[in-house]
Parts: sequence; structure tokens; C-alpha cells
Amino acid sequence: MSEKVLELKNLTMKFGGVIALSNVDFHVSKGEICALIGPNGAGKTTVFNVVTGVYAATGGEILFNGTSLLGKKRHHVTKMGIARTFQNVRLFGEMTALENVLTASDVHKKSGLVGALFGSPRARHEESESRNRALELLEFMGIEHCSDRLGKNLPYGDQRRLEIARALGAEPQLLLLDEPAAGFNPAEKVALAETIRQIRDKGYTILLIEHDMSLIMDISDRVVVLDFGIKIADDLPKNVQKDSRVIEAYLGVPADAS
Amino acid sequence: MINIRDKGAQIWEGWNRTTRSTFALIVIGIAALLPFAAGFPLTSFVNTPITSYQSILVYPVGMFILMGLGLNMIVGKSGLLDLGYVAFFAIGAYTMAILSTTTGLNTWEIMPIGILCAMFSGVLLGLPVLRLRGDYLAIVTLGFGEIVRIIALNLNITGGPNGITGIPNPPPIAGITFGIADHAHFFWIVLVLVLLTIWMVRRLTVRRPGRAWEAIRQDEDVAALMGVNLIVYKLWAFTIGAAVAGAAGVIFASKIMVIAPDMFTFNVSVLILACVVFGGLGNIWGVILGGAILAYLPERIRFISDARHLMFGLTLVVIINLRPDGILPRKKREKILEKKVDA
Repeated sequence: MSEKVLELKNLTMKFGGVIALSNVDFHVSKGEICALIGPNGAGKTTVFNVVTGVYAATGGEILFNGTSLLGKKRHHVTKMGIARTFQNVRLFGEMTALENVLTASDVHKKSGLVGALFGSPRARHEESESRNRALELLEFMGIEHCSDRLGKNLPYGDQRRLEIARALGAEPQLLLLDEPAAGFNPAEKVALAETIRQIRDKGYTILLIEHDMSLIMDISDRVVVLDFGIKIADDLPKNVQKDSRVIEAYLGVPADAS
Repeated sequence: MINIRDKGAQIWEGWNRTTRSTFALIVIGIAALLPFAAGFPLTSFVNTPITSYQSILVYPVGMFILMGLGLNMIVGKSGLLDLGYVAFFAIGAYTMAILSTTTGLNTWEIMPIGILCAMFSGVLLGLPVLRLRGDYLAIVTLGFGEIVRIIALNLNITGGPNGITGIPNPPPIAGITFGIADHAHFFWIVLVLVLLTIWMVRRLTVRRPGRAWEAIRQDEDVAALMGVNLIVYKLWAFTIGAAVAGAAGVIFASKIMVIAPDMFTFNVSVLILACVVFGGLGNIWGVILGGAILAYLPERIRFISDARHLMFGLTLVVIINLRPDGILPRKKREKILEKKVDA
């Protein structure tokens, strides 16, 4: 594949004596859906947290379109073009769905406090433009009817969809989805898979953490497998399925082999 | 129970621009006539025994509302608990006192300088505490409030414990004089400042800064990950809150003519915070109502002498128990649209 949007080089993350990530090396190419899988505690969410600047990496390098992300502030990473969702839904519960999306889309605005205070033409223009865009995003995620409802009052599934809409509001190049299908029923998972594919087709690159294997095999172009902070596989979905180390990580070693 | 807030908002939304402006003008007009309320037989009940009703309107009522609105920017909108808000007020008041007694500048000329000084101190306080949250932030701001008072107590330029005397009243504007007894005229200045503050807060709230503050208040970490620059918006919250208190301090000093460090104790910070919480954290109208009640009540019941403190405390305890989110809580309205059923 072509251009590397995100590239992790020997990424290491230690919390005291615990090694969460050990020399993790992989990349995400432009326009692909890359899945990040692994058993619980493998370090998947840690990858997201290090990339988005929540944790400072202990070692290694993270490149986004060739620019290092190390030491960048969280809001700066978002502005550069990486937006994420959360494993446990973390919406702004006291804001309406529309405001949730608008908050994220503010990141690229040029008008600030003074413009807002005096209603400068640029501020008004940006405001109405982002409002339209936010409504489009809500519609795209199928939750436009909830635009004026508070985040905390939305049904669970819509909260998850709103999180994706909010992340898209920041107009990222790379979208990080942390278990977007958690708690979804099979029908909802199918619909979500379709949505994620549509997002990819719009030109976004997606890095996805997911536990549902059928969903992964269905939509991902490539699968990276982590186990205890070490990358054990990085291949096409069908090859990963047969990889003995991956099966071992998930199911354990047969008794006779040990 | 009828929800007055929702009903009111519904009626407001049903109006067009002209009706709204007319209504706002009427409300402002009534507010401007408040100093004369004691003179009409119908509203003479507002008259306070012992103290002068008109002087209460300026300070504490007007000042508490003004500072309540300023503190609401910091505590209510952005969720940064500031227990040393009086510091900004003191800085405004001392700027007025020092500059007016040493230079020939008058109140109106000092006003912007006082606001700038207070804003600068807001940045000074904001920078070191940006990383702190909740309880820790509260402790540091509390310390800041005390530091400012103790500095004023010990410096020569601030007159030490004696404070500064002989601060001139503001010069007249268009024939309106601001003498020591012109309470109504001072009230109008405070009213103008309150209106300016309301305008500013409303403007900021509906656009980008308001969303950023709201996001910071609800979940700072997610806010940062969604691209909100925490440093910039926290600093702005402190600075705007400080500017309002600074303006209040300038007017306060030029009305009372004498200021001393013991006017700027921790008590004042707590009382203003009480106004904000009592009225409704984050809601402009709640803060105004809270400030008006908490400032007026102790003066109204002054005739029962020391027992008024007990009554004041009891009122706080009872109301906060009955309405934990304040008298008029933060807006939590939502419109539920019917889900489109097509195809």
C-alpha cells in the first residue's frame, strides 16, 4: 500500500515496572481500515492513548504524515488530524448532540473569543458553516432526530454513534475507533460495519480496536495483533486467522506442546 | 410542579426580535427605577429598617450581582472552583485608590486600567494553577485571595492596615452627579456594568468559547482530546471573571472613598460564591436572583440584630436542601423531535 498516515516505530510504554507496549512497530496506510486486536490487557487502548498524547511514550517514535507526534499536546494532535472515540462512552452529557459535534469542529476555527464577543463576520460564517456540517454528520450517523437532545439522555447505541459523529466533527485524516461495536446486537453491528466502510470511502483512514472477530474479518483491510504489549502479527485478515501465534494468544498453548 | 424556567424559555422562543427587545427594555427600565421603589406605596415594603434602602441597592445588592456574574464565568461556566475571587475585586479597588490619590486621573480614566490590572492578575493566578483540578485548585485560589489581602496589609503604597483615604468620587457625566449620597446614580453605573457583563456572557456562551468552557467543565480530558486548548480557555475564564471583579472594585472604591485590607477578606469570596451556588451555578438569571436575595436579606432583617446571621444561615441551609442545584438551575432543556419514519 501507498502512503503511511500513521507510523509507530519501536514504540515502548512503561508504567513503573509494567511494560504496556514493547517495541511496537506498525503503520496505517492512507485510506485503509486497519484493525488492532488482542486479548484484554494487550495494550490496544494504550496505543490510542500514546498516539493522541494522553500518555508520553517511554521510547520509540510516532510519525503522523511524517511529523513526530511525541511531546505534542492533546488538542494539538487533534488539530493535526487525529480524532478518537472512547471505549467507555465519554460524551459531554450536559450538551446537546449538536453541541457535542460543534465542540469538536471548533478545533479548526480561526475566530476566537473576540470574534465571538463582537459577532465578527468570520465568526458568524464559521458558526453557520460548522452547524450545517454538524447536522450533516448527525444525519450521516442516523441520529439527526436527536440533534437537540442532551448527550446523557440518548439511548446507548445513539451515544456510540454520536461519539463517532463528534470525532468526525474534528475533520480528522485518521479516525481512531475504540471498540465502536461494544454492546451492539448483531443487526446493529452489521449496520455499523457498513457505516465504517462508508467513512473509509469518504477518504478517512481508520484504525479500529474491536473484539468482534466477524466484524473485523468483514471490514478490515489489515489486522495488527498485540499480546502483552508485543506485536505478534500484522497481516491480511484471512492470514491472521490462521496464524498459530494469534491462536495461541487467544486460546492458549495446547497441553502437549508445552 | 410548574417549571417556570422552561415555560419562560418557551414564551421567549415564541417571540420575534422586536417583542424580545421591547421586553428587555422594559425589564431594564424597571431595574433602573429600582432606587425609587421605596417611594411608591405599592412597593414600599422593600424599604429597609435602620439602613437606607438606596445605599443597599448599590452595595451589596448591585455589587454582589455584578461579582456573582463574574465569578459565574469561572465557577459556573468553566467549573474552576475559585475561592479567592475577592483578590480581583481588591486589585480593582486598590488600583482606583492608588492612582486617584497619586495622579490626577478620575474614575472613568482609571476604570480600564483597573480592569487591565485585574485581568493581568487573572493571568498570573491562572498560569500556575492550570494543571490543578477541583479541591487543589480551590486551595490555591484561596491562598491567592489571602496573599493579595496580606500584601495590601503590609505595603506602604497601600497604606497598610489603615488603607487609603480620600479617594475621589467619580466626576459627573451629563449632569448626573456621583456624590457620597447619590446612591441611585451609583446604582445606575453598576446596572450598566451588569448589563455589559450579561451581554458578554451571553455572546460568548452561544459560540465557540462557551462550548469550550462547557466541555472543560464536563470532562477536561475529553475536551482536550476533542481539540479544546485547555490553557487558553482556562486563562480566558479567569481573565474575564477578573475583569468583572476589577470593574466592580473600581466603582466600589470610588463610592466608599476609603478602603482598607479588612474589606477584602475570605468572607467576601465565600459570600459571592454562595450567591452563585444559591441562585443557580451557571445560570445568569439564577446568579442575579441569588445575589439579590443574599445581599438584600441580611439588610432587610437587620432589626433583629445578631439573630439575622442565624436567619441568613438558616435560609441558605433550607434552600440548598430544597433545591440542591440552586433556585434557578442551569439550563437543561432539550427538544425532542419525532424520529423520521421514512422508507
